[in-house]
Amino acid sequence: MRHLHIPALALVLLAAAISGLREAHAAPETFNTALPVGRGDFVFREQFLYIKASDDPSPADRTLEVLGSISVLGYGATSDLALFGVLPYLDKELDLTTPGGQRMTRSTNGIGDASLFARYTVFQKDLPGRNFRIAPFLGLKLPTGDDDDRDGFGRLPQPLQLGSGSWDPFGGVVATYQTLDYQVDAQLSYKANTKANGFEFGDEFQFDASLQYRLWPRELGAGVPGFLYGVIETNLLHQAKNKISGTNDPNSGSTKLFLSPGLQYVTKRWILEAIVQLPVVQDLNGMALKDDYSVRAGFRVNF
Amino acid sequence: MNFRTFTQRIQRMAIALSLVLVATSVLAAPATYRLHVDGLACPFCAYGIEKKLNAIEGVELLETNIKEGTVIVTMKDGAALDKATAKKAVKEAGFTLNGFERVAPGDGQRDGAHKQ
Repeated sequence: MRHLHIPALALVLLAAAISGLREAHAAPETFNTALPVGRGDFVFREQFLYIKASDDPSPADRTLEVLGSISVLGYGATSDLALFGVLPYLDKELDLTTPGGQRMTRSTNGIGDASLFARYTVFQKDLPGRNFRIAPFLGLKLPTGDDDDRDGFGRLPQPLQLGSGSWDPFGGVVATYQTLDYQVDAQLSYKANTKANGFEFGDEFQFDASLQYRLWPRELGAGVPGFLYGVIETNLLHQAKNKISGTNDPNSGSTKLFLSPGLQYVTKRWILEAIVQLPVVQDLNGMALKDDYSVRAGFRVNF
Repeated sequence: MNFRTFTQRIQRMAIALSLVLVATSVLAAPATYRLHVDGLACPFCAYGIEKKLNAIEGVELLETNIKEGTVIVTMKDGAALDKATAKKAVKEAGFTLNGFERVAPGDGQRDGAHKQ
């Protein structure tokens, strides 16, 4: 599990180092953008993530750590229609205290559930030095991750599995307003989780917003300099209660609000980015685990 | 032919030769165009536009100025660019061509030149 620490930390440090060139922003880091992928062009994005959740109100004193990398490949079928594939690699580790008082660790790692989705630009307004776009998207999460992983203690609990085993449709709409100085993105999305293995994750509703502000260079000259953006994002996530054999799990479902500061360095060919997601509000049901924080860092390449 | 007539002919021939040389050098200069691209607002987007323009046959040099929202396209000797082709390339990159003009040689920006 630890092998992913090094590249993730290295990218965070690198982004921090770049920010030191001045004070320290083009597309959101925690969700998608409506900006175009040129016809026949590809965009590849790799994002490393670390999530920690603890503060367990139950006697089990659970701590969940997730390390992962999320690979995204975007392809411009036309200048308006972009197709995306998302493949996560996850390493999950749950520490807990047994009813007998012993501390135990359960873990798994491997490919998670992949997603495929299409995004179509329905509104586009281009003006000198600025643009505005609205693009709905529709996709499907595929059961590519192992949903029946076991360790010495038996089958892992469903939330710890790499995959849900279910085919889950999702959709939404993303809007982007971009100028030379700043960019604003906002996204509404809904994911309808379906049942597999007698378990059904609660449906998810999410609202995301992002502001990216150019910090460097302060004044634009000729040519195409690299842009350093300061990023602030917010994510409101509501998840309904999970169902086990058709019955609501009282220790699941939540409404969470995250506030996330980050940095992004954008050149013509590549983007380097890092962001920290901090929970501001967590309205959890029952004995659900609270998120402590998560860190995302990665890069994008145009080709 | 007297000496004065001779010198007048030499002068006329020299002027005519100069004009031919000037005209030849102008005609031999590669065609250069300034494209005004609406919607161009970040470096990552500039790459897509340059990639599409570079795929046009005969393009020699691209110079994007993100602040002005312009791309100077210099063609290879003997090659030309028409507005419809430029518009299609910019559209395929996801942006809008708002202006297309031929410019005099050397009238483009030199910073940020992108040799293809």
